[in-house]
Parts: sequence; structure tokens; C-alpha cells
Amino acid sequence: MTIVLQQLVLGVLIGGLYGLAAAGLSLIFGVMKVLNVAHGELIMLGGYGAFWLFALSGLDPFAALVVVIPVALVGGAILYWGLFGWVVRYHEETRIKNSLLIGFGLGLALHAAAVQLWTADERSITTAYAGSVLDVGGVSLPVVRLASLVIAFVLIGGLHLLLNHWRWGRAIRATADDWEAALMTGIDVRRAYLIAFAIGTALAGAAGTLVSVGYSISPSIGLEWTLKALIVVVLAGLGSMLGTFAGGLILGVAEACSAMVFGGPYREVVGLVIFLVVLVARPQGLFAK
Amino acid sequence: MRPASAAAGLVIVAALAAVPLVVRREDILNFLFLVLLSIALAQSWNVIAGYAGQVNLGHAAFFGLGALVTRVLWIAGTPVVIGMVAGALVAVVFALLIGWAAFRLRGAYFAIGTLALSEIFRITVGNTLAEISTLPQTTIATYRLANRYWLALALAVLAIAAVAALARSRLGLGMQAIREDEDAAGATGVDALRLKLIALVCSTALAGLVGGCFAYYHISFYPSHLFSPGWTFDAVLMTFIGGVGTLHGPVLGAIFYVFFKEYLAIRWVDFHLLIFGALFVGIVLLLPGGLVEAMGKLRGLLESAAFTPDRRRPRPEHR
Amino acid sequence: MLHVDNVEASYGPFLALSGATLEVRVGEIVALLGPNGAGKTTLIRCIAGLLRPRAGGIRWDGASLASVAAHRIVERGIAVVPEGRRLFATMTVEEHLDLGAFAPHAHAGRVQRLEEVYTIFPVLRERRGQLVRALSGGQQQMVAIGRALMAAPRLLILDEPSLGLAPRIVESILGVLGEINRRGVSILLVEQNVQAALVLAHRGYILESGRIVGEGTGAALMDDPHVKRAYLGPLALRH
Repeated sequence: MTIVLQQLVLGVLIGGLYGLAAAGLSLIFGVMKVLNVAHGELIMLGGYGAFWLFALSGLDPFAALVVVIPVALVGGAILYWGLFGWVVRYHEETRIKNSLLIGFGLGLALHAAAVQLWTADERSITTAYAGSVLDVGGVSLPVVRLASLVIAFVLIGGLHLLLNHWRWGRAIRATADDWEAALMTGIDVRRAYLIAFAIGTALAGAAGTLVSVGYSISPSIGLEWTLKALIVVVLAGLGSMLGTFAGGLILGVAEACSAMVFGGPYREVVGLVIFLVVLVARPQGLFAK
Repeated sequence: MRPASAAAGLVIVAALAAVPLVVRREDILNFLFLVLLSIALAQSWNVIAGYAGQVNLGHAAFFGLGALVTRVLWIAGTPVVIGMVAGALVAVVFALLIGWAAFRLRGAYFAIGTLALSEIFRITVGNTLAEISTLPQTTIATYRLANRYWLALALAVLAIAAVAALARSRLGLGMQAIREDEDAAGATGVDALRLKLIALVCSTALAGLVGGCFAYYHISFYPSHLFSPGWTFDAVLMTFIGGVGTLHGPVLGAIFYVFFKEYLAIRWVDFHLLIFGALFVGIVLLLPGGLVEAMGKLRGLLESAAFTPDRRRPRPEHR
Repeated sequence: MLHVDNVEASYGPFLALSGATLEVRVGEIVALLGPNGAGKTTLIRCIAGLLRPRAGGIRWDGASLASVAAHRIVERGIAVVPEGRRLFATMTVEEHLDLGAFAPHAHAGRVQRLEEVYTIFPVLRERRGQLVRALSGGQQQMVAIGRALMAAPRLLILDEPSLGLAPRIVESILGVLGEINRRGVSILLVEQNVQAALVLAHRGYILESGRIVGEGTGAALMDDPHVKRAYLGPLALRH
């Protein structure tokens, strides 16, 4: 019994990161109808950022968030100005199509660059407290992963508050709901797009940092995490950040169950199958507004 | 097709067919094989994405299914052509399943659905068929590269002919209408779902055949590699660089890509992906017509330089 | 204040406006009438900056609006209540009104203006925390008008505010418009309810097939035989 509980708990712990990864993607897609399939590569870059900060200066990865998040914010702004900002000229369908293609090329380029720079080896940050484990009723909770879950929740909660109480947060939501009405209300929709894209990228960077310390990173995790994020976004639906977080937890638990029933190697498959099932049965997602 | 281009095409095909009879060097034959197979693969993606406007990010799934089924049947004793047809059929079946589910919805569902499908296959095949697949000694002893070459040539010709026929047909025009504006096309009575599915069937059948040819050619490989996203990347890059939605684009793109890739692979392994990825993004944003468009513009420049600047095209009024 | 001069506008190859000219002077209520598809909404979109005219000009306060970005139009003093209300599906009443004051110039007096809006539409005060999806059509229209009012406009443009609403609600909303006008806001009213619009308006224009075919004071238009036949009589053009 404890083994099952243990697996489920581990599933929840990583599920929080899935939720965080998905939140950034969901925000960007919800607001500007741009699907950045290189989102996973941005997560990967965030992970490498934290890794090198740690390797070169000993900066604790959780502390590194303070550096990674602002850098990723700026990075996201640059990506918007340089790349994705250009597709918003088009109407929605072409926008989605072109953003898929651009994201595809970007992901390819980033992955190849990462392999060139850092080799294809897996890396992980091992801090002094890496092995610490909290024992709760026979179930062991790795402290690092627990902290990551908490931080992921805090970040998403923060995003939720931002979207509801910050002037530009509401402007972003308005843009997501009806961009022409937003324009008529005096909202600079392009700036809303920029802000949403920057925040989404910042969340990706944060997720990457948390992945590098609790798990491991390599150039190939890009596609994997893009798919996880996509699965959660489709599962949870657009519009609710907290719903997206819940969707991430659900995916984590589903993976844990699948690994227990079908065996470890099939852990990844269940998420993809869930995706296809949701596609057929309820494409708008579980928690869509 | 104009008689001049048809004749030129026949000459080129005949010349290519004669190559194995004249050239003995395996590396040249291998290189040409790769180019021909790539042309076919690129054209297959071109059908669904370039003409019907549906971005398929999991093309590897259909290539892989064709390859896997062909390989399994062929090693078990089935004639390879039958194996290839079976492979293409299996690919089409899965394509219809995902197409039916995703085409009802708009947006990115088809793209991501196909991506999910190809990853599901890659992981599942990687788990269930983890061992390398190698041709038995008897087969290796009687291996003739020329046969593979001619098969690839036939596939390339088939692919180009299919796209050429499609582009001119009513089906093809309907598909292009959907690509431009699905709502508008629907309003004029075009059955979008049916056309998208037809395009998908053509596209994945071709991809399946290409996969089958690959299975016939390669002596050994890991089955999961057949579903590697790299195949999708290759198809997408080649088509776009050459000119998506055109007949010649994938051909140009394939030649350019294979040549460049083989040249770069001598020095750096993954570097070509970085360059191509960046080039691809540039093309999507700045020159969506790819090499075909670039060549057209170059030709236009040369032509206008030859004539006196007398012709002025009327410019539209709006800002 | 607002001068629309011979504006032509098209959606792709389709010419929606082939020369519309109208004027809204300070303190007026101007009605813009005409059948469905005449180009009324197109004209509003041009003024709002969502569609660039291919010919002609729009001047506000003497300055051309041609190069003004859509989100800046509000800053200049023009607020639009779009056709079909175009509310934000995931937001509450109060969030809408708060957003209405998004533009920099409107930010300052927003608390006070919110009070004014709640005074004009008391039912919104009761339902301030509710999602707009849960409101009736008439209440949603009030939210849309309130959102526009929060921008402290000098010109309020409304596109078919009575669409889909019961006559009693329409009456009360048009009454409110009269009240708003008395407080100093000029109004450009696109309406299908010609009778009510002409009673309220000082002047009106008739737009048919992309061009202005008639103009005059409210009373004069009501007596006009063409208007009577096409829009007011038993055989009036059905919308």
C-alpha cells in the first residue's frame, strides 16, 4: 500500500511542474492564439541556466530563480519582438499555423544549439541537501521535489492574482476574451501580447530551473516537456491558471498509475493517450471557462 | 503539362534510371538514393500541408508505420512491394483515425494530435521491439543497391506525378481553397472534411511507401528510430525551404537539404539542424515561398532589367 | 466635432462604404439609420480605428484620425459600444467597468465615475460581483454602455444597442441615453429601431448600400415619405 501511495505522491510532485510548464503555454495561447511548440526548449534553457549558475558560481538553484525569471522575462520579450510578434498580423487560423511552424523551427534550432554547446549528456544539480527526504507515514518526500511543488504552486498562484488584480493582468484577460473589444476599451493589444508572452516564457524558465534540481535535464527534454505542457493545456482547457495546475497534478498522478499498472517504460505513453482521448471526447478541456 | 516540360521530365527520369548502369560507385548511388527518397518524403508532406494547409507535425508516424510493416512482412518472406503496399495501408488507417478526430476541430489539434501519435508509436515500439532489426545473411548476400535506387526513383516520380495531378484537379483546387480560407471555402459548398481526409490519405500513403522503401534499403536499424521526430523535421524543412505548396519546391528543397546535410555532416553532426532551423524560421516569416519564390523573384529581376522600365503595375489604394 | 468625409471602405474586394459623409456636433444626438448590410457597422469600425478607410477622411476635433491606433481613439474622447455588446466572457460587471477606465486619461477620476455609472444603472451596482454571462440581455447592454462611459468620452457611439432586447428595456436604455446627453456627452446612435431613435435624436442620417441617402432633423426625417415607407410603415424593411 505504501508503495502505491509513494508512487502517487511522486506523481503529484512532478505534476506540479507539469502544471507550471503548461501555465506559461496556456497563457500565451489563450491571449494571442500563438502555440509555441518550442516551449519545452525554453524550459530546457531555463534548466541549463540554473545548472550553469550553480556550476560556475555555486548559486543555489532555488535562489537562482531570482535571476532566471527576470532573464526569461526579457528573453520572452525578445522572442516576441523578433519572432512571434510577427505572426499576430494574421487572423487566428493562419496565426496558429505559422506559430506552429515557427515554434517548430525554433525548437529545432535551440535543441541543436544546446547539443553543440553542452553535449547531449544529462545533467542534474546536486545541492548539499539534495538527498534530504521527509518521512511522512512511511512515504518519503524528497525535500527538493517538495520545495519545487510549493514554488510551482506559489508561482501559479501569483500569476492568478496578477491576472485578477493587476491592471495589465486584466487587460491581458480582456484581450484573450475579445481583442477587438479590448482595443475599443483602450487596451494596447500588442503590448498585452508582449506581456503575456514574456510572462509565459518566464514561467517556462522557472519550470526548467525546478526540473534541473529535482530531476535532470538534457537537450532532448524540450520535446518531452512541450508535449507534457500541451497535454495539460488540452486536458485542463484554457482560461484558468489554477485549473491548469490541477490538470498538471492529474497528469502526474495518471502517469504514476500507468507506470504501476503497465510498467515504467509506458509512463510517457499514458499522457499522450489521454491527450488523444480528450481530443475526441471533450476538446475544450475539463476546467475551461 | 506543357509538352516541353513533360519531355524534359522524361529525359531526366531516363537519365537517372540509367545511372546505376553507368556508375559503379556506391557512395554516389547512396547519395542519389537519399535525394530521391527525400523528394518523395517531402512531396508527401507537401500534399497535406502545402496544398490542403493542414500542418502535420507527426509525419514520422506514417513513415514509421510503413517502414515497420514492410520490414516485418518482407523479412517473413512477403515480396517487398506487397509489404510496402501493406505498410502504406496501415499508415492510412491510422491517419484516418487521427484525421477524423482532429479535422472536426479547428486550430492546432491535428498538428499536435499527429505529434502525439508519432511519439506514442516511438515509445511503444521502443519498448516492445527494442532490439535492432537486421537483415538475414542470405538477404545481405543478394543485396543489390540498384534495385533500391530504382524503387526510390519510382517513388519520387510517383510523388511528383501525384502532386502534379492533384494540383490541377478539382480536388486539388478545393484543397487550396480550404488552405486559404476554410470558412469561405465552406460557404461555396466545398466539403472541407472530405477534402482534408483525401489529402491526408494521399499524404500518408506516400509516406508509408517511402518508409517501406527505407526498410528495404537499410540493412539494420532500431525500430523506434523509424518514428524519430527527425523524419518529420526533414520533411517539413525540405518542403518549406524549397517552397511549400508548389510542385517543384519539395524537389529543390530535398536536393538542397540532402546535399547540405551530407556536406555538413562530415564536419559537425547536429550543426546542420541549427542552421536549417534558423533558415526555416526565416523562410516562414520572410519568404514563405522558399527557394521557388526566391528563384521567381530573381528571374523577375533579371527580366525587368532586360526590358525598359515602361510597365507600371497599378498599385492598390489602401494603406 | 466629428467629421466623416466621403469615406470609402472595403473588406477585401467587397466595397462596404462608397462615400459616407456625416457630422456630429457638440451636444447632439445623431442617429445613423439604414437596413442591414448598409454599412453602418463598417462606418463605426472605421471611426473606431479597426478598419482603415481606403478613401476619404475622418476628423475629430479638427485632427485626422487616419493614423491613430485603435486603442488610442479612446484617449481622444471617443468611446464605442460595439454591436452585440462584445463583453469579456470571463469577467464580472465591476471588472468591466474598471477596465473601461483603462486609458491613462480615464484612470484619474475612475472611482467617482464608477459611482456615476452605478447611479445611472442601479441594477449594475447590485450585480457588481457577478460574471456578465449571468446577466440578462438588457443588463449586459448596460454593462457595455457603462464600460464605455468609464472612459469619460465626449462622444459615445452605440451600434444597435436595442438588438435583441424587449421594448420596455429599449425604452429605458434610450431614456438613459437622453440623460447622458444632457450631462454633456454627444451621441452617435446606430439603430434599427428607427422610431425610437428619431424621437431621441436631434438629427439623423440614412445609410443605404454604402452611401448616405438622406439627412435631416429627427422630426423632418420622421415625416419624410421614403423614411416612412421604408422604415416606419407596415411594409417597413425587415431587419
